[in-house]
Amino acid sequence: MNSSNILHVLNLLTPEIVLCGLAFGVLLLDIIFFRSDSVEHRHEQLGCSVIIGLVMVFFIYALQYMDWQNTFVVGHGAFVASRLNTLFKMAVVGLALITVVIGFKTPYSTHVGEYYGLMLFSVLGMVFLISSEDLLMIFIALELISLTLYVLTAFQKGARRSVEGGLKYFIFGGFSAAFLLFGLSYIYGATGHTSLREIAGALQGDQLAKVPMKMLGIGILFTLVGLGFKIAAAPFHLWAPDAYEGAPTPVAAMIATGSKIASFVALTKLLLIGLPAAAGSALSWPTRWHSGWAGTVAIIAVLSMTIGNFAAIMQTNVKRLLAYSSVAHAGYILVAIVAIQASGVPAPSAAPAIYFYIIIYALTNIGAFGVVNAIGSKAGGDDFEHFTGMARRSPYLSLLMLIFMLSLAGIPPLAGFFGKFYLFAAAVQADPKNLGLLWLVAYAIAMSAVSLYYYLKLTKQMYVLPAKDPRRVTSNPAMNTSLGLIGLMVLLMGVFPNKVVERFENLNANPYPIWEAAVPPPPQPEIPVPAPAEKPAVPAPAAPAPKS
Amino acid sequence: MPTLSDYLVLSAILFSIGLAGALTRRNTIIILVGLEMMLNAANINLVAFWHFLPPSPTGQMFALFAIAIAGAEAATGLALVIAVYRHYRSVNAEDISNLKG
Repeated sequence: MNSSNILHVLNLLTPEIVLCGLAFGVLLLDIIFFRSDSVEHRHEQLGCSVIIGLVMVFFIYALQYMDWQNTFVVGHGAFVASRLNTLFKMAVVGLALITVVIGFKTPYSTHVGEYYGLMLFSVLGMVFLISSEDLLMIFIALELISLTLYVLTAFQKGARRSVEGGLKYFIFGGFSAAFLLFGLSYIYGATGHTSLREIAGALQGDQLAKVPMKMLGIGILFTLVGLGFKIAAAPFHLWAPDAYEGAPTPVAAMIATGSKIASFVALTKLLLIGLPAAAGSALSWPTRWHSGWAGTVAIIAVLSMTIGNFAAIMQTNVKRLLAYSSVAHAGYILVAIVAIQASGVPAPSAAPAIYFYIIIYALTNIGAFGVVNAIGSKAGGDDFEHFTGMARRSPYLSLLMLIFMLSLAGIPPLAGFFGKFYLFAAAVQADPKNLGLLWLVAYAIAMSAVSLYYYLKLTKQMYVLPAKDPRRVTSNPAMNTSLGLIGLMVLLMGVFPNKVVERFENLNANPYPIWEAAVPPPPQPEIPVPAPAEKPAVPAPAAPAPKS
Repeated sequence: MPTLSDYLVLSAILFSIGLAGALTRRNTIIILVGLEMMLNAANINLVAFWHFLPPSPTGQMFALFAIAIAGAEAATGLALVIAVYRHYRSVNAEDISNLKG
């Protein structure tokens, strides 16, 4: 429903307002109260306040998630508040929380307030990106994320590789922003709208004849290039290894997880809500290939899987290895994005599979980065040689790393396997009669077999080779606990994957149009503050929403 | 009276010049100039579309926000270039290559 009552809008935006206040608050707190303290002390104090603030925001989102049945659309889609979006926002805030915890007590520069402030602004960009269904808002939110992450990457000003990584990230990101804006301007020009639902309306039925298709095609292509940079899909991935290696590890974790979630959600929304009519088809190449974004995305997926996996084999730095593996994972997710509109109608299982995989991927990756940070800060670096024989030096962290690596590779009892399973199953089911996407799925499975090699290479380094330096490596209890929790979640999501996927499926089948809407929602009478008189049309089956 | 396609051709040329400049030059500041040209080409598009589409403030607003963001991006970029210059004593992209693999 459309919300135009200002109080209602403010009510919807509560967590975002708190987050924004927190970001400014941290900056002010640092200047006003902690200016004269030592760097470690400031880092501790501000870190604690940020953790408390983020926990608060997380719980506000949790309350909203339990409380809502409807989808609220503010300003033609500039801000869409739905349970699905809230779930992703909870994931992003939770990941930011873990990022703060794994970076705790390791100040990278004397600018502590700015470090946390920028991190919070970046989270703010992510939550706005997740909830926007409007080209302008998508662009602004994406730039808010990018600009803060460029600075955070270069935050360790004293280290050469940090500033170099930051500059490279900036230059590639600048290209992507320019391509994205140019592409969005063409989409706006071709359809006359910036709201995704109105764009979909302009591409329907007899309206379609009025749309200059070539211009729209160029617009979509440029937009895909721009978003391809953000999700680090090949051939636009060149910044990723340098930025990951150069950035302070918590920042690299944030680039690899939170910003990836937000960018993938934005990409899925743009293609599924805004441009389903321009999907074309990538089925049974080359006989049933119709021009549209599906074919382009399929090519990007194949390139990402190939380049990501084969380049990862040659890496000797763990963060670079994770960077190339994230390129490969972007490829797997793109396989399902190809499937999502493959047979003309939205494939019912594709979208939940994508959401599930993004969450699993982010969770596993943040765990891996946490272990890299814990080991790297004690062992003096994050090259392979620093991890040699780690199983004897730190059995706990090594076990966690083993779990995360096997999950990323997709070994059965772990979450990563079911993530890939749902993803590829959805791609096969997209065209059940002819199995038109089988070529892509077969390729993806072959490539994930390749990926096992380099994940196991790192594991071998840790478990098989003898340690040169016998001293034990330990990390602080907070880090151990949070990493252990992530490891446990990766295990549990592998044992009970259906619990999570069901949730996404139910949200996907929400009576109010969320993702599958190709038609702009009919104008509805304005309803001020969530009206108690109005019953939710159909309660979401799995998650009975208790009024808190 | 120029038509819509005149503006689009102008912006496409501007975008190409910016892209070519950013890809071929080695000086990071010139690369930044190229990036700004590409962003401004998109702004010309937006304003041109706004002028020729049915009246609505959307396109102009889009361009205004895009200009502000381009400004923020230029500021960030120059700050990063300065940070790099302190380490490498150079703003040449070829000299800034410690990270490889």
